[in-house]
Amino acid sequence: MNRRLWVGLRQAAGLAAVVALWQWAADAGHLNPLYMPAPSAVAATLVQLFVQGTIWPHLWATFSAALGGLVIGLAIGTVLGAAAALTPFLGELLEPVMIGLNAVPRVVLAPLFVIWFGIGLGSKVALAVILVAVLVFFTVFTGIRGVDQKLVERVVTLGGRWRDLLREVYLPSVTAWVLGNLKVAVGFAFTGAVVGEFVAATRGLGYLLSFAQSSYNSALMLALVALIMGFVLLIFAFTGWLERRLLRWRG
Amino acid sequence: MLRVKDLALSYGATPVLEGVNLDVPTGKFVSLVGPSGSGKSSLLRAVIGLQKPSAGQVTGDFDAGEIGMLFQDDALLPWRNAEENVALGLRLKGVERGSAIATSRQWLTRLGLYGLSERWPRQLSGGQRKRVALAQVLAREPRLLLMDEPFASLDAIVRARVTGDLVRLVEQRGISVLLVTHDLEEALALSDTIYLLSHGPRAQIAGRYDVNLPRPRDPMTVRAHPDFAPLLARLWQDLSREVGGRAA
Repeated sequence: MNRRLWVGLRQAAGLAAVVALWQWAADAGHLNPLYMPAPSAVAATLVQLFVQGTIWPHLWATFSAALGGLVIGLAIGTVLGAAAALTPFLGELLEPVMIGLNAVPRVVLAPLFVIWFGIGLGSKVALAVILVAVLVFFTVFTGIRGVDQKLVERVVTLGGRWRDLLREVYLPSVTAWVLGNLKVAVGFAFTGAVVGEFVAATRGLGYLLSFAQSSYNSALMLALVALIMGFVLLIFAFTGWLERRLLRWRG
Repeated sequence: MLRVKDLALSYGATPVLEGVNLDVPTGKFVSLVGPSGSGKSSLLRAVIGLQKPSAGQVTGDFDAGEIGMLFQDDALLPWRNAEENVALGLRLKGVERGSAIATSRQWLTRLGLYGLSERWPRQLSGGQRKRVALAQVLAREPRLLLMDEPFASLDAIVRARVTGDLVRLVEQRGISVLLVTHDLEEALALSDTIYLLSHGPRAQIAGRYDVNLPRPRDPMTVRAHPDFAPLLARLWQDLSREVGGRAA
C-alpha cells in the first residue's frame, strides 16, 4: 500500500478513536453537557444550522470580510513591500512602521476599527487587511532584498533592462514567497474577520460565537469552530493546488 | 578587438587592480591566470560593466549585445525550463518569442541536450546546466565571449567534453574570448595568448605569453605537443613566484 495513504488512514483512525472516546465519556455521564457536549450533539447543531438555513448570512458575512481582507491585504502588502525593498528612501520610512505594527498583536486594533469604520463589514475587512498586509509586507520586502544577485547579473549581462528584471527575476521570486505564505495569510484573514465580528457585529460567525457564549451554548460554539476549521482547510486545499500549479519548477 | 587600458579598480578603500593593460584581438582566445584573490574576476566584471573602474578604459569594436558572459555559476532562472532560459537571451536581444524558442532548441540539440529542452534547471545535472548556460550565451552569436572559470565545478570527463565543444564553436565562428581561470593547463590548451596577473592588492599584468600551438586544436590531445610542457613549466614558475611574493 502507498505510504501516504497508510499514514492518512492511521491519522483518520486516531481522530476517530478520540471522537469515539469523547462520545463514550459524554454518554456515560462523565462530561457535563453544559461545558462539553457530546460530538453527536455538536454534529446535530451543525446540521441544524444548515437545514434551517440560519447559517448562510453569517457565513457569507465572514467570508466576504475574510476574502476581501485577504485580497486587499495581499495587494497592499505586496505593493508596499516591493516599494520599500526597491527604493531605499521608502524602505527607511516603512520598515520601522511595519516592525511596530508587527510587534503588537494586531487584533487589539479591533475596537479602534469599530469606531473608525462602524460595526458593519468595513471594520472586519480592515482588521483582516492589517493582519495580512503586515505579513505580506515582510514576505515581499525580505524576499526582494534576498533575490539571488547572480540571476540579476545574468539578466543584466544578457541586456535586460529594469522591466525585464522585474518580469524575469523579481516577479517570479515574489510570487514564490507570497504563495509560500498564502496559507498563513488565509488563516490571518479569517482571524481578522472573526475577531472583528466578535468585538461588534450584527452577523457573521464571530457574532454567532459571541451569541453562543452569552447564551452558554457550548454545542453551537464547537459547531462553529468545526465549521471555520472545515472552511479554512478547504481554502488551504485550494492554495495548495495553486502552489503546486504555479511553482511546478520547484518540484 | 577588445582593449583594456590602464585599468584600476577598487572595492571601497581597498585597491584591487592598478594599471592593467591587455588586448583581446579579434578571433583570438586569450586567458587570464593569476593567484586567487588577485582580481581576475573583477577585471571581467569591469569589462562587461558590472563593476565601475576607478581609472582607465575598456574599449572595443563590440556592441553591448555582442558580448556574452559565462559565469562560474550557471545562474539559470529556476522558473524557466531549459529552452526558455536559452530563448530568454535571444528575446532580450529583441528576437520574437516563437523564433527564439526554435533557435533555442537548435542550440540545445547542437550542445547534446536533445530531448531535455523542457526540463527545469533542477532536473538537469551540473554539466547539462552548464551546457544550457553555454547555449544561452552562444545562441546570441556573440563576437566576444567572457568566461569566469565557467567549468570549474564540473568533473574531469564532463569538463573535457564541454570545453572541447566550446573550442570547436569558438574556432568555427571566429569568436574572441577572454577566459579567467586558475588552471594553467587549461589556459595553455585553449589560448593564443595568456596574461599572468600579479598578486594583489594593486594587481598588474606580470607576464604575457604567446601560445603558438596549432589550430584547430583539440584541448585534450594538444597537451602531448612538444611545445606544451616547456611553456607550462615557464608559466608554472612565474605563477609560483607571484603566489610566493604574497606570502613573503
